[in-house]
Amino acid sequence: MDLRTDPELETFRAEIRAFIADILPPEMQHRQRTKVLNNATPADMCAWMRILNDHGRSVPHWPVEFGGCGWTPQQLFIFNEELYAADAPEFDWGGTHMLGPVLYSFGSNYLRDKFLPDIRRGAYLWAQGFSEPGSGSDLASLRTSAELQGDKYVVNGQKIWTSGAAHAEWGFFLVRTDKTVKPQRGISFLIIKLDTPGVTIRQIPQINGEAHLCEVFLENVEVPADQLIGEPGMGWTYAKFLLEHERTTSSFIYWNKREFARAKEIALRENVDGVRIADMPEYRARFAKIEADLLALEWSVLRVLAKEETAYPEAAAASVLKIRGSELQQDITMLQVDALGAKAARYYEPTANAPQPSALWPDYVAGRTTIALITRAATIYGGTKQVQKNILAKLAFGA
Amino acid sequence: MDFAKSDIQLMLLDSAERLLGERAGVEYWREQKHSADGFDRARWAQFAELGWLVLPLPEEAGGLAGTMEDIALLNIELGRALATEPYVSTAVVGAHLIARGASESQAADLLSRVADGSLTLALAHREGGGDSLSLTPVATRARRQGEGFVLSGIKTLVLDAPSAETLIVSAAMEGEDGTALFLVDCATDGIQRECYALVDGTRAADTVFQDVMLPADALIAGGNAGAALLSEALDRATVAMFAQAVGSMEACLRICGDYTRERKQFGTAIGSFQAIQHILADMFVAANQARSMLYHAISHSQDEADGRAAALSAAAIVIGEAGQLVARNGIQVHGGYGLTDEYAISHHYRRLMSIEKLHGDILRHTRRLGDHIFAA
Repeated sequence: MDLRTDPELETFRAEIRAFIADILPPEMQHRQRTKVLNNATPADMCAWMRILNDHGRSVPHWPVEFGGCGWTPQQLFIFNEELYAADAPEFDWGGTHMLGPVLYSFGSNYLRDKFLPDIRRGAYLWAQGFSEPGSGSDLASLRTSAELQGDKYVVNGQKIWTSGAAHAEWGFFLVRTDKTVKPQRGISFLIIKLDTPGVTIRQIPQINGEAHLCEVFLENVEVPADQLIGEPGMGWTYAKFLLEHERTTSSFIYWNKREFARAKEIALRENVDGVRIADMPEYRARFAKIEADLLALEWSVLRVLAKEETAYPEAAAASVLKIRGSELQQDITMLQVDALGAKAARYYEPTANAPQPSALWPDYVAGRTTIALITRAATIYGGTKQVQKNILAKLAFGA
Repeated sequence: MDFAKSDIQLMLLDSAERLLGERAGVEYWREQKHSADGFDRARWAQFAELGWLVLPLPEEAGGLAGTMEDIALLNIELGRALATEPYVSTAVVGAHLIARGASESQAADLLSRVADGSLTLALAHREGGGDSLSLTPVATRARRQGEGFVLSGIKTLVLDAPSAETLIVSAAMEGEDGTALFLVDCATDGIQRECYALVDGTRAADTVFQDVMLPADALIAGGNAGAALLSEALDRATVAMFAQAVGSMEACLRICGDYTRERKQFGTAIGSFQAIQHILADMFVAANQARSMLYHAISHSQDEADGRAAALSAAAIVIGEAGQLVARNGIQVHGGYGLTDEYAISHHYRRLMSIEKLHGDILRHTRRLGDHIFAA
C-alpha cells in the first residue's frame, strides 16, 4: 500500500482540464451552470457526446476495442471530476454506463454493431425500463411479459419511473419471458424502439415541476427477437452485472463535489443580517462536516475503483457508496437551500434557460430549490437506502 | 497510488496476527488493567524482537524505514487487538523525535535501547486549560543557565508517562520564539509524576517540573524548527491513533456480526431482525468511511503543516463520529451484555471514546476545518 499521489496524474489532470476548456462550447457550459432543470437538455447531452466522440473520449471507461481510452481508474476519476467541475453536460448514463457495458459484454455482434457506435456519438437518448408499478424495490417480481411468436417477442405490461422516456428513441427493458421458473430466472433483457406501435408514454409531473420520469405502457408491442440481449432468462444476471459494473456511479462523487463548490460560492456571497454565511460558526461547522464526509466518499470510491482487497465482498463497499453518495446529495442540496434563506422559496420554472440574474437574484439562486426537491429521489431510486442496508447486512454480516 | 499490500506489509500483518491474535483482545486487556504499567513487558519484548519498535525509524538510525502506510497498518492491528502498549508514544513519536533532533551519540544510545525494548518514551506536551491543537506551550518554561537549562512547569495527561524512562518535553524558551523540545530523564531531580489510568486502561500522568536542571545536550530542537518538529510528531501520533481506532471499529463489526448470529430471541437469531440488520449496516458504512479517511490522512502525512492539519481535521471528524456510532450501536445490539466487563464490545467503546477525546476531539477539529475552508 502506497497512498501517495502519482505526480503524473497532475499532468494528466492539467491536460484534461485544457482539453475540456478547448472543446466545451461556452453557451452549453453557461446553460449547464445556470439551468433550473435537473439534467442537461436532451439536445445538449447529445451534442456534447458528439463533440467528445470526435476526440475519441465519449466512452473512456469502455474497453479500448469498443472505443475506450484505456485509462486507469484514477485517470477516469479525474476525467469525470474535471467534466463536472467545468459544468459540462452529463452523459446519457443509460446508454454509456448501463446498456453499453451489457451490450459489449453479452450482446450479439449484430446488436453491438447496431448500437455501440450510436451510443458513443450520442445519436439519441436511451430509457431504462426496469421498475413497474408493483415492482419497485422487489424488482424480481416484475410482470411485463414478452412472448416469443415466430421471430418476434410480443410485449405486454407497464413500466414506471422510466427516466427521460419522452425524449428517448430507444429503451432497454427487463421483461418476463418465462413464468414457469423462479422469478429471477424468467427475466430477459430486451431492447425496444419507443416509437413501435403499442408503446404509449405518459410523463409524470414531479415535485420540482419537471416531468422527466415516465410511465411506459406496452400493449402487444412486437419486437424483433434478435433485440433480446444474450440468452433468454439471463436478464436478471445482466441487470446485476450492469449495476455491479458501475459500482461507483451511484456515489455521485463528481456531482457532489461540484455542488459542494457551488454551496461554498453561495456561502461566500449571501448574508444574513449583515453577516456572511461563510462567517457564521454554525455554517462553518456544516461545511466542515460535509467536506470531511465528501473526502471519505472520494477515498471510498478510489478504493472500489482500484478493487482494494478487503475482508468483505466488493458489493458491500458498493452499497456503502450508494448510501453515502445519496445522503450527501441531499445534505449538499439542502445546504445550498439553507444558505439561500428566504430566496430559496422562489419558484423557478424548470427550463434550460434561467431568467436573467439581477443584483437581488444572483445566477446561483435559480435551480437550487428545484434540484434539491428532486434530489429527495436519490435515496429511493436504484434500490432504496433501506434495501441497500438489507443488502449490506447480508453481505457483510451474513444476517 | 496503490492499495495492494507490499510483501513487507503482508509480513507485518502476518506477524501481528500471530502475536496479537494468540491472547486476543479482551483477555489481555483484562489482565493488564491491574498490572503495574498497564501493559505486559514480556509482550513488549516480542514487539522488539519482531522489529516493530524500529519500524518507523530511518535506516541510518538502525530502523526499518517503514512508511506511514506500514505504521498505520500495524496500528490497525494493535487497535483491533485492544493493545495497551505505549507503541505510539515510544516508536512512532518519541523515537522519531530523537532520530530527528538528538545528537548522533545520544540517538545511537537511546534508539538502541528503544530497539531492544528496554526504553520507553513519552511526549509531554499537553497543558491544562490550553489549546489542545496549539504548538506553543505556555505553562512550561525553560531558561538558559550556564551551558544548560532550567525547566519549570506542569504538563497534564502525558500519555504513557508512568512507564516511560525518558520524556520529551515541550517548553517556551525565555526570550525566544517557537518551541523548545528537551530530552528529560525521569529520574532527574525536581520531577514529580502523578500517575493515573485512562478510561481505556492505558496510563497517563500529570508531570510537574520544578527547576529541573538539564545539560546542554538535552535540547533536541528549538525555535521554529522545534515547533515544526513537534507538529510533525503530533500529527504522526494522530494518524497512528486513528489507525488504532479503525482497527477497533473493524473488530466491533466482527464481534457484533458473531453475536447477532448466535444470540437468539423469540426463537430466532436477532441478526434476522431488520431493525438489527440496519444498525449493523450503519456500523459497516461508518467503519468503511473511517478507513477511507485514514487513507486520506496517510496520503497527506508528508504535506506541509497546513495541508496535514486540514487532512487530519477532516479525518478526525469522520473517524471520531464513526467510532462513536460503531461502538454505541455495538453495545445496543449486545443488549445488557454490552455493558459488562466480560464482553469485548464495552472495552472497544472505551477505547474509541478515549482516542476521540485525546487525539481527535470532533468539535475542535470541526472548527479548525471550517475556518480552513473559508480562510483567505
